[in-house]
Amino acid sequence: MDGFVLTLWLVRIMFLLALYAFLLFVVRVLLRDLRSASRGPTELGRLVVLASPHAEPPAGTTFPLDALTTLGRDVNNAIVVDDQFASAEHAVLTFRGRAWYVEDLESTNGTYVNGVPVERVAPLGFGDELQVGEVRFRLDRGRE
Amino acid sequence: MSGQASLRSRRSIPGNVLRTGTALTLAFAVLALGAGYWQVVEAQRLSTSPDNPQVIALARRALRGPIVDRTGRWLARSSRDANGEAVRQYRDDALSPVIGYASRQFGTVGLERTYNAELIGLTGADPFGGLLSKFDTTPNEPLGLRTSLDLRLQHAAVDGLGQDRGAVVMLDPTTGEILALASTPTYDANAIADPDTAAAAFEALRQDDADPLLPRATLGRYVPGSVFKIVTAVAGLDSGRISAGTTFPEQPGAEAKGLLVDGFRIRDGHHPATGETALDLGGATEVSCNIWYALAGLETGGARLVDSAAEMGFGAPIPFDLPTAISRVTGGAGGGAGGFKDDVELASASFGQAETFVTPLQMALVASTVANDGVLMKPHLVTEITGSGSGARTMDPEVWRRVLAGVDAQSIQAAMRSAVEGDLGQQFTAGAKVDGIPTAGKSGTAELGGKGEPHSWFIGFAPVENPRIVIAVLVERGGRGGERAAPLAGDLMTRYFELYGRP
Amino acid sequence: MSAAAQARPRMRSRWRIRPRTRPTELSLLALVAVALVIGGASLGATQRYREAVSAGEVLKTLDWGPPDPRGLFAYLVALLVVHVLFVLAGRRTDQVLFPAVAMLGGIGLLLMQRLPQTLVTQSFSGTQLLLGQLQLSWLLLALGVMTVLALAVRSDAWLRTYKYTWAAVGIALLALTFVFGSDVNGARLTLSIGPLSGQPSELLKVILVVFLAGYLSENRSLLADESTRIGPLSLPPIPYLAPMVAMVAIALSIVVVQRDLGAALLFFAVFLALLYVATGRLSYVLGGTALFILGSVALYNLFGHVQQRVDNWLDPFADPLGSGYQTVQALYALARGGLLGVGLGAGLPTIGGRLPIPAVHTDYPLAALGEELGLIGLLAILGLYLVVVQRGLRIASAAHDDFRALLAAGLALVVGVQAFIIAAGNLKLIPLTGITLPFISYGGSSLLANAVVVGLLLALSDRGPEPPAAPHDGRRRFARLRRGGA
Repeated sequence: MDGFVLTLWLVRIMFLLALYAFLLFVVRVLLRDLRSASRGPTELGRLVVLASPHAEPPAGTTFPLDALTTLGRDVNNAIVVDDQFASAEHAVLTFRGRAWYVEDLESTNGTYVNGVPVERVAPLGFGDELQVGEVRFRLDRGRE
Repeated sequence: MSGQASLRSRRSIPGNVLRTGTALTLAFAVLALGAGYWQVVEAQRLSTSPDNPQVIALARRALRGPIVDRTGRWLARSSRDANGEAVRQYRDDALSPVIGYASRQFGTVGLERTYNAELIGLTGADPFGGLLSKFDTTPNEPLGLRTSLDLRLQHAAVDGLGQDRGAVVMLDPTTGEILALASTPTYDANAIADPDTAAAAFEALRQDDADPLLPRATLGRYVPGSVFKIVTAVAGLDSGRISAGTTFPEQPGAEAKGLLVDGFRIRDGHHPATGETALDLGGATEVSCNIWYALAGLETGGARLVDSAAEMGFGAPIPFDLPTAISRVTGGAGGGAGGFKDDVELASASFGQAETFVTPLQMALVASTVANDGVLMKPHLVTEITGSGSGARTMDPEVWRRVLAGVDAQSIQAAMRSAVEGDLGQQFTAGAKVDGIPTAGKSGTAELGGKGEPHSWFIGFAPVENPRIVIAVLVERGGRGGERAAPLAGDLMTRYFELYGRP
Repeated sequence: MSAAAQARPRMRSRWRIRPRTRPTELSLLALVAVALVIGGASLGATQRYREAVSAGEVLKTLDWGPPDPRGLFAYLVALLVVHVLFVLAGRRTDQVLFPAVAMLGGIGLLLMQRLPQTLVTQSFSGTQLLLGQLQLSWLLLALGVMTVLALAVRSDAWLRTYKYTWAAVGIALLALTFVFGSDVNGARLTLSIGPLSGQPSELLKVILVVFLAGYLSENRSLLADESTRIGPLSLPPIPYLAPMVAMVAIALSIVVVQRDLGAALLFFAVFLALLYVATGRLSYVLGGTALFILGSVALYNLFGHVQQRVDNWLDPFADPLGSGYQTVQALYALARGGLLGVGLGAGLPTIGGRLPIPAVHTDYPLAALGEELGLIGLLAILGLYLVVVQRGLRIASAAHDDFRALLAAGLALVVGVQAFIIAAGNLKLIPLTGITLPFISYGGSSLLANAVVVGLLLALSDRGPEPPAAPHDGRRRFARLRRGGA
């Protein structure tokens, strides 16, 4: 057995290995895709109702959030806050880049983040408390 | 509304896509299995197949290994000519039906074909071994074959057949080793191996009406006649329905006018000699009584007859070093037990007429079963693959099947002895006796209908106690068994004892 | 709904085309390049070593150059260029499909460079092109077609609206081939226009899928309904079934008359699969299969060449030097390959000056690859096809509407089923039919048609523009949004 044959053999095994390396990489990508597909569209975040005096929305309810979620008394809002202190179009939550912002839509009674009133736009972190009218929410991280 | 709902739930496109994808994936899994079948399971067989172009290419260059007989005499050998091309040389025309030939133009047959891969050194090409040596430039060492043939016996058998067409099988019943496997006419294998004369020689042989290229011992199928009675005896005794002492009261009476089975009359030729005696196994075998055997066959039943025959190799190719034709008891088209059409066919088959066809090798195995006390050894021709390569090995004797109890086999041995040595038997089977050695046998005269001589058969063995040699002789159109085949068998067995010593 | 619909057109003008990196695709393409360079080196060195050994020379060093280094290089550069174009275009399309296809095409290129180069030659204005170079040219052209389709196709209206026109074009193509085509091996498959010749049935498979997708997406609910009953069979309203059945029947009959049985099988299988995808009714598939079996029996009894093919398939060893030659040689080649193969370039080259497997470059590429890459390599190639199919079906599942879903599923199935039919033929699981192995077999029509398939799949996989990035001044935008929505 001369050395050339051995070398040639090794190189042709390397070719097969390269084919399988490619397949392995592809399978990793496929599995990643599959996992994210089984989760459905990724949730950017969720809003949990902490306290609601008129039970509309009831306390404990969780709202998955779109990149743009409006809150207010009007039925056209994504989250309807049926509270006498809420305006018809009260506030909007937006996801920009990698962070959440809350924008007060010039509501009569204002919007509060951790008890601080929002001037036009304020960043909203996960775990922060948001108050619209008398209803208090908490922003939670969405399911990964 | 409900239709809409079911449409959405049961027939969502993503769900159907998923199922379709799964189906296609399964189909690809089948492809993978298919590839595995050819590339791993069948790889060895295909890679060493004599028709494989790589094998043919290798065979052109390779110096084929030698083939020798049991005493070491060369039977086939190779050398290089002046141009460096390999030339195959064969010792004796008598061997051609066994050894075959290796030709560049016409491929290989016989042992040259069966052991082609070994003879050209193409062994060890399994999918897991030899991973490194996948270049076809470095074949292994060609291996040789040691056969169990005895050139002298082979030659004697071919000489004995003379101008007749026929076959002789001689084997050792205790080991299954074949000592002679003759078929006539023979041919000159050297002429086919030589590229210059091959085309003309091959064409001439193909045109020859005597069909010299047919190895009659293994691939010729013949009506057996009375030698088949031994199969009936084995089946009857093994079934327990017949014993050595069984007699049939209606048998003597039927001798004169024939036995009527379902309107068909079965006749005998021996009635003047036996008169009113009701024959038992020994007597019926001694005088070759068709009626006794017809009654015995009917008593045994078609299913048992076919089963016992199958035990001895009927109904399937015999695992052997050469291709074998399938011997059969019946055409199998009928609806009765074992595939017989009716009792008429069963009764006729019981003494070897009807739709029964056998190879000479098959009948030798029947005699071998009886001789070896009911134990059938696997027949083989090659006892050793010689050489230094990885495929070299020896083939040890192997029990193929235990067909019959020893005591029953001995009853048949005694019956076959009386067929050769009994007062009446001598008249039917003259000349089979080996002088001074107890000999057993059974002759057969296969009537073919129409004009012309019958096939002449004999199967037998000697000595009766601890037999050492079994023989089957067939002479096409040779006349009565006792006249042509039996004396030849006697001569060949005598020759055997001359060569290998008397017991 | 209305907010988004009205907002989008205005927004698009604001979002200029922005390059998007495609890291997955780039890594996979790097792996493709590594594999092909190793394969090329292995092939070149093995071939030179073999020649030296058979000539009785003793080599001092091994030369690792691929047999056609410039060709391989050109292919790899083309792959990179396509990738860069995808990045610049910034569409959010599938990143796995293209590398998988690139790998298959590269393996095909290596195989064509490995086979005797004079197997196919063609002269273009005085320049003689050999097998490997021809395959490379077709591959580059195919990459171009694929890229253009992947980047340019944004609306599917031109496919959807004109489905009957497409069907007419396809059938006209076939009819032209039948009348003016030339016979190759007793089958009239090739249409020649000037120096170029092609097999229209390759293109027809794409047209068939477009037509079926358009037709089925419109009539999906009707077909899934069970309103007409004939005995125990419940059929959808027959008038709605008629155009589709007619289309398929015409395509099939022409193909059968042209003796292109592989294409007929492919069309029929894809037709049934799409019908199932659209309606979810297994009864269609079962009924279709029954029809297929009846048809096969009829064909077997009617046509001598079909009988011969089937008999060869059942027992090729009955005539190993005559009609069974090709099949038997392919099996020998597979067996020689064994588990790990003999290595690229080390397979049995020629016997007495001719190929052991006739038409290996079109009909039996998988047997040749099975010999040189072994079972392990063959499984990898089958895996690559499954990857292509999986990606295509995934695109179908994620599609927004029925037409896009059916189109993507149909295109993916065309590739998968075609690969299955020819692979099964190579492996003697079914009788061999004369269709090509997608992306690997030699042939311009096949490569271009499959490039169209991949290009369309890539275009369909576009996940659309991203959600907007953070604007500097959110207020104005949201105010406008709200006004639009109100």
